[in-house]
Amino acid sequence: MRRAAILLLLLVAMQFVLPLGGWQASASLLTFGFLILAAYTVGEIATAARLPKVVGYLLAGVLFGPSALDVVGTTSITELAPVSRLAIALIAFLAGAELQWEEVRSRGVVILKIMGAELLLSFLAMLATLWLLRGSVPFLAGYGTAHVTAFAVLFATVAIIHSPAVTMAILSETGARGTVARTTLGVVLLADVAVILLFTVALAFARATVPAPGGEAVSLGILAWEIGGSVVVGAAIGGAVALYLRFVRGELFLFALLVTFLGAEIARLVHVEALLTLLVAGFVSENVGGERGVALRHAMERAAAPVFVVFFALAGASLGITEVIALWPIVVPIALARAFGLWAGTAVGARWAGVTQGEGRYVWLGLVSQAGVAIGLATIVAEAYPELGGQLRTLFLAVMTINQTLGPILFRQALARSGELPGSESESEDTAPALARG
Amino acid sequence: MSTALALVIIVAVAYLATHVAFDWAARRFLIVSGAEYLLLGILVGPQVSGLVTAHTIDSFAPLTTLALGWVGAIVGTQFRIPELVRIPGVMFRLAFAEALATLGVVGGLLGLALMWLFDLTPALAAVPAIALGGIAAVSAPAGIEVVARHTGARGPIVRQLQVCTAIDALVAIVAVGLLACVQRPPADGGVRPLTPTEWAVVSVALGLVGGALFHLFLGRERNVDRLVISLGGAVILISGAAAYLQLSPLLAAMVFGATLANTSRSRAEIGETLARGERPFYFVLLIFAGIAWQPSAREWAVPVVLFLLTRAVGKIGGARLGARLAGTLPVFGAHWGRALLGQGGLALALAFDYVQQGGSPLSNIVFTAAIASVLLTDLSSAHLVQATVLPLLESEVSPRRVAARFLTPRSREQAAGRPTAGGD
Repeated sequence: MRRAAILLLLLVAMQFVLPLGGWQASASLLTFGFLILAAYTVGEIATAARLPKVVGYLLAGVLFGPSALDVVGTTSITELAPVSRLAIALIAFLAGAELQWEEVRSRGVVILKIMGAELLLSFLAMLATLWLLRGSVPFLAGYGTAHVTAFAVLFATVAIIHSPAVTMAILSETGARGTVARTTLGVVLLADVAVILLFTVALAFARATVPAPGGEAVSLGILAWEIGGSVVVGAAIGGAVALYLRFVRGELFLFALLVTFLGAEIARLVHVEALLTLLVAGFVSENVGGERGVALRHAMERAAAPVFVVFFALAGASLGITEVIALWPIVVPIALARAFGLWAGTAVGARWAGVTQGEGRYVWLGLVSQAGVAIGLATIVAEAYPELGGQLRTLFLAVMTINQTLGPILFRQALARSGELPGSESESEDTAPALARG
Repeated sequence: MSTALALVIIVAVAYLATHVAFDWAARRFLIVSGAEYLLLGILVGPQVSGLVTAHTIDSFAPLTTLALGWVGAIVGTQFRIPELVRIPGVMFRLAFAEALATLGVVGGLLGLALMWLFDLTPALAAVPAIALGGIAAVSAPAGIEVVARHTGARGPIVRQLQVCTAIDALVAIVAVGLLACVQRPPADGGVRPLTPTEWAVVSVALGLVGGALFHLFLGRERNVDRLVISLGGAVILISGAAAYLQLSPLLAAMVFGATLANTSRSRAEIGETLARGERPFYFVLLIFAGIAWQPSAREWAVPVVLFLLTRAVGKIGGARLGARLAGTLPVFGAHWGRALLGQGGLALALAFDYVQQGGSPLSNIVFTAAIASVLLTDLSSAHLVQATVLPLLESEVSPRRVAARFLTPRSREQAAGRPTAGGD
């Protein structure tokens, strides 16, 4: 309560400061600092209400973002996008480092089966829903079968992706390390790679079916390089990191920050997928670097809490509440269809893999969240098809708003129900970088 | 594509080679340095490989502003009044004399030189000259700490050097901060343009009000991991507000840090949290300095060399003059100012601060001078401190004579090993 009152005072003070200046870039900084404090405060309130901190960070972003109070305006969000990208790159590297080769070897088949089933069924559920709702969906209404199929496939491909950032944030906050937690993380990470692959194929299919206005022809070679190159470049960066860990070792946190920053820049320069590159780099450095790789991961985990605050507060500010309200008659069925696809797919996949009932019952709850990569993919569609792609992106952001808000709550519930939350609630609340213990 | 990858490999190899070389040198020659990070910045920046463009760096302004604010807040936390009043007044007199002498000598001589070299009016030349004077006044504490740890040296000379680095930082930040208030362009839309004095009050008020509010915001929070988040937010808010008003983020953040140090019950944890970020932010500043550096279109070699020379003269001469005035020349000797020649992160932060002030004249020259000074002196700072401190510790100077001049009655009791009332 005291912190909320101070926030209010800060908000009033900012109203005195803002008319005195005029340098927009620094206005963004001013509001960004306020957003961090606001996210921190709402995160603490969320914890008191037994909700994940991530939800608090997102809510703070929504409350002070353009959808509500507009303290952090659209211009500020655009200017802070590089910070957000750096945060997601750091999360991707950390997520890759969380994957242990031993685990991939021993549980890879299980994860692949669950992932395959849930991706397939949620994709089909999305396609069916879009087909049924095609008269109301802005970018499908009034078009022929080929067009509807192409855009429905594009939307479904983007919409089935998950959020490694939310998964990492919840695991970091709770310190959960059980079967449901590990399987969810594995499925989320592998699905990211699979969906990026699927997306490149879907986009090529869409461009072949509905030529983009003034768009360039898509070369399959370029698409293959984006994926294959990411693996190669990521492995090279991971190898370099392992060498650094062997011969230099010092300043691990700063080094991790540099790796993610330069890794993202290298990916941009050589035209490969940045997140996939860093995911692979994290995986290679952790598994090749041995004990020193673990030390690097721990250094990054210590820095993870502020990164999560920054990323989710900005993600919350970008959420389109107004779009959800305007499009709710189609947004709600799409969100429900996706959830059904995830539930059914995970259950089928778990039975196929012959794993415990807990995984079949709870893993899908950890797959609901969406952020980061999904926004990037939707933006690529919007760039390829400026008008219809823009409508697709708007609808997707509206669906994502629901998934992103409910997803963290559901995942935490899943961990609680499966008995994987370590210790008492109060213990887990007090350990933001609890992952460091793992 | 192959060119880009080749550049990446060259940069990585050059960085690793430099790091290994400096690591070896650090262990062998007691060198404190982050020069390899500066080199890394230059290598990846637009001047060499172009891997990172100037535009990319602009988009990471939150990180540089956070680094500036963080450095300012660390400086501010040193000024805790209950601790300051326990330090003998002569130490402050000596420190202020040395800092102001350096500021005056470098500012004055460089002002004349810049007028002559670039055909500037006195008013225009005064701006970069004062900035250079402020940067020159700064001394890095890292070398002093390394030597104190390495040799176990304690006593008045080490304490005096520590007081000097704190006062040097204060003088430099205030000088560059006030410069920002003076040369700030008038704001649009106000009832009337604020005067430089009013902008100076605004700068200080930002830190004071921010510090007071953040003190209330924190309450009894002592968890360092949570403090990192909230402190990071507060520092960005304060330094962002200062930058938005085109004032100095360093000055506002320094007042913010001092306010927290004097009011918060969690001051130890705040100090620990800020200290945890000191080295990473120093290196971040070094990297960004390397990327942002560009050779001046105008003749820069003469002013930079002149800066290095006048700074050495100002530091050694100012310290000698101060010691003479304070009557401590027999204790410290004529050349104790050599121990204050080392420069580090704060000098770079001040240069960044100056460059960020809109339309600062000769900003490239100021920036190049700061980088050159950091590169040159950072390597030798620990050696210079050691060369100054060790002879004094081994000299014939009677400990009683030193104690009589420098220590308060309470410190004298502590030095004599007698218990004193209360903690530190």
